[in-house]
Amino acid sequence: MAATAAGRVLTLCRQFQTGLRFSSTLPIQQSALSLARPTSRLFGTPCSFLQNHADIAIQYQSLHTSHCRMGLDEFFDIPENWGEQTVKSGSPWSAKQLRTKSNEDLHKLWYVLLKEKNMLLTIEQESKRQRVPMPSPERLKKVDRSMTRLDTVVKEREDAIRLLQTGQERARPGAWRRNIFGKTIWHRFNEFPIPWYMNRRYKKKRFYTPLFVNPFIRLRVEQYLCRKMRKEKAERKRLNKVLEKITKQSAKA
Amino acid sequence: MARRALYPLFQVGNPQLRVFCPNFFLTLVRPGREQPPDTVQFRIPMEMTKCDVKNYLEKIYSVPVGAVRTRIQYCTNKKRNHLNQRVKRPDYKVAYVQLAQHQTFEFPDIFPTKEAEQEEGSLEAMQEKFMEDEKQRQKPDPRRGGVTEWFGL
Repeated sequence: MAATAAGRVLTLCRQFQTGLRFSSTLPIQQSALSLARPTSRLFGTPCSFLQNHADIAIQYQSLHTSHCRMGLDEFFDIPENWGEQTVKSGSPWSAKQLRTKSNEDLHKLWYVLLKEKNMLLTIEQESKRQRVPMPSPERLKKVDRSMTRLDTVVKEREDAIRLLQTGQERARPGAWRRNIFGKTIWHRFNEFPIPWYMNRRYKKKRFYTPLFVNPFIRLRVEQYLCRKMRKEKAERKRLNKVLEKITKQSAKA
Repeated sequence: MARRALYPLFQVGNPQLRVFCPNFFLTLVRPGREQPPDTVQFRIPMEMTKCDVKNYLEKIYSVPVGAVRTRIQYCTNKKRNHLNQRVKRPDYKVAYVQLAQHQTFEFPDIFPTKEAEQEEGSLEAMQEKFMEDEKQRQKPDPRRGGVTEWFGL
């Protein structure tokens, strides 16, 4: 697992390397390096801040980018891991680690994780078919977790930008409305190509409550209250029974 | 092309839709029926279309795709749970992808039987060694030339 991930990350870093020659800004270098370290794994690469350039040079000497697998081979693990009982893997990416990354890095990482997950799903299906245990099935969960965390981080950034630019709290605006049955629902706004007063599809969702519905609303409220009362009564009865039992037992003893 | 995403309505002249984080996952499967050597079989999510599969493989995996055919596999509804209720197994979509540029693909054997190498001093290794020693001890003496044990002084 580690070796695969490292290989994959290294292929990814190749593109980075070309960019690095021209740019000397520190944040990019750091991000590239944290991805480029050969010892690093796909999951949970701790972001180390390198101060001096000597370290960077050493890191780059050990960078090895000759092995590049493309195409359908990426749906399988590296051949060294075939037939192994367990495959080593690190911990999933935490949201804290992901927050330190730039958008570009996150974007690249998403594709790395996507390919990883495709590979794992392929292995899982094949192991089911051949009825052998899947090597290290916990990897799937780890990839899932890192993906959801990456998603949350991206959403956070989107929210922040939206709040700054437009002041809107939600990505998809909506409002509380009462429908034809008098129920209050959260209506999410849709885009319509025609204005609403000419739109037959929009008018089908009637967001008003006619007067003759009022008695039914009352009945619904009554039903709700009745059910609530019944539940409470049953609960009280049960408690009383238990109390009686306890008192009887204590009296006997 | 992502699942469960709400896209803005397309108006003529607007920029085309771009997906930055596709959440479609493909599963490469060994074909059940024999397929031509250039055909690869995938299990894909229901929402995915032929064009999606083509774009996905070409852009993300850089695989040249010639043609894509899809079908929906209906899965069994006959299974019963412990309460004797019907349990539906989820359906899935199958995509047959024909590769371009005379490329061929064969599903490799990803679970070859490997000799389990045991570490020095582990419990299993000790057990194995003990068993071998026992076997050696049980063997008759080769110098006797197959003569039974009870014969002789």
